[in-house]
Amino acid sequence: MNGILKRFLGQFGAEAFLPKEMIIERNGEFFLLSPDLKEISEKNAWWCHAGTYLGKIRDKRFSPSFPLLFMIVEKAKNRVVVDDKSAWLFICGRDIFRQGIIQAAGSIMRGSYTLVLNRHGECLGFGRIVKNLDEASEGVVIKNMFDLGDFLRRENPAKAKSLNPSKF
Amino acid sequence: MSQMDFFLSRYREMGWKYIEPAVKQAIRVNIMNVDENALLRRLEEHGFKLQKIPFLKSGYWVAEARFSIGATVEYLLGYYSIQEAAAQIPASIFTDLKNKKVLDACAAPGGKTVQLANLMEGTGVIVALDVRQNRIKALRNQLERCRVSNVIVYQLDARKASKLGVKFDRILLDVPCSGNFAADKEWFSRRTMQDILRNSRIQRDMLAEAARILKDEGEIVYSTCSLEPEENEFNIDWAVKNLNLEVVDVDTYGERANTEIFGKKLSSAIANCRRIWPAETQGFFVCKLKKRRM
Repeated sequence: MNGILKRFLGQFGAEAFLPKEMIIERNGEFFLLSPDLKEISEKNAWWCHAGTYLGKIRDKRFSPSFPLLFMIVEKAKNRVVVDDKSAWLFICGRDIFRQGIIQAAGSIMRGSYTLVLNRHGECLGFGRIVKNLDEASEGVVIKNMFDLGDFLRRENPAKAKSLNPSKF
Repeated sequence: MSQMDFFLSRYREMGWKYIEPAVKQAIRVNIMNVDENALLRRLEEHGFKLQKIPFLKSGYWVAEARFSIGATVEYLLGYYSIQEAAAQIPASIFTDLKNKKVLDACAAPGGKTVQLANLMEGTGVIVALDVRQNRIKALRNQLERCRVSNVIVYQLDARKASKLGVKFDRILLDVPCSGNFAADKEWFSRRTMQDILRNSRIQRDMLAEAARILKDEGEIVYSTCSLEPEENEFNIDWAVKNLNLEVVDVDTYGERANTEIFGKKLSSAIANCRRIWPAETQGFFVCKLKKRRM
């Protein structure tokens, strides 16, 4: 598996579980292919998307896709579960306050990366812990790095305004 | 005669009397990602009232909404797609899609591609084509959001699909068309017969290319959201007479297509096509073609 992808997974305490022979890197983007897709992709190598998109390298860092985050939910050790209000604010692009965290697992130390889950156990994105979770009692503790609202923001910035933080 | 009168007189001649359409917003549950009943409960908790669409398997009309159905966490999680009811029909009329090699020839923005992937339960392969870069971006976003894993995308004109050197079991030809007035308020002032005839020629080229790369006994589903017979019945009549294809009867919504239009007698098999006049859904035309064994 490509080093940068492996390092990214390692940040969440997720084991390297993707079959490296089925991962293809193309123009800085990573894809996980089934054997059937791999056959077609080799025959016609000018495809622009194949199989499961895993993410891309942006500014020398790995920027994951949502399918990849969903794939590592079961494997990742670092995760926090947040309440409904915090979940909604998070997908509106906001950071997480200490009061919104219901449960935390794995590393809870400043500088660690953690998946952010809602009460259904669904991954909403990930963030960087900015205050040790066992010490902080209030204020922003997780900085939003990437959230589901990105789908609306990238497709249609005007439509993304429908993700209104005041809904709660 | 105004453009509107001109087109409405054509529809009248085909047996339809104008009524103001009231097209309802619809969603389709992505059953690969979520339990349908669990999703319905969650959407109801958000205040949405949904109504099962009787002629679709996992389709619902949005009867009541307090905010946009596209602004829920469930939508962003890929649990459902916003897809007009008639547009959900084409993918649903293929037989036996599992483990097949499927071509989605004009795929973007990807609603039907995701539907195909669901019907295939993630098995087999979908080759998705679109000719325009910006539309491929929308297609890729849709595939990512809905976590579809069996699709490969090429930027390619459907009229050149044989360049891939692949033979397909199933081909979805949801071709570019002139659209209809139910989906576009300015339609009557925007469209001319020249547009329709130009689109018809492009559609025939796509049908011919699809027939070339379809396996024997393979299926093509052809659909448009146009009401014009030049893009629908006349094209299928031409395909049946020239491309070794037959029209297969399908059990779906819509009325049987006419076999005589504007004084032109068509193959009797055209009655197996379905024409949907705008009402609760937009206007639509759909049929299933099968390649005869050589």
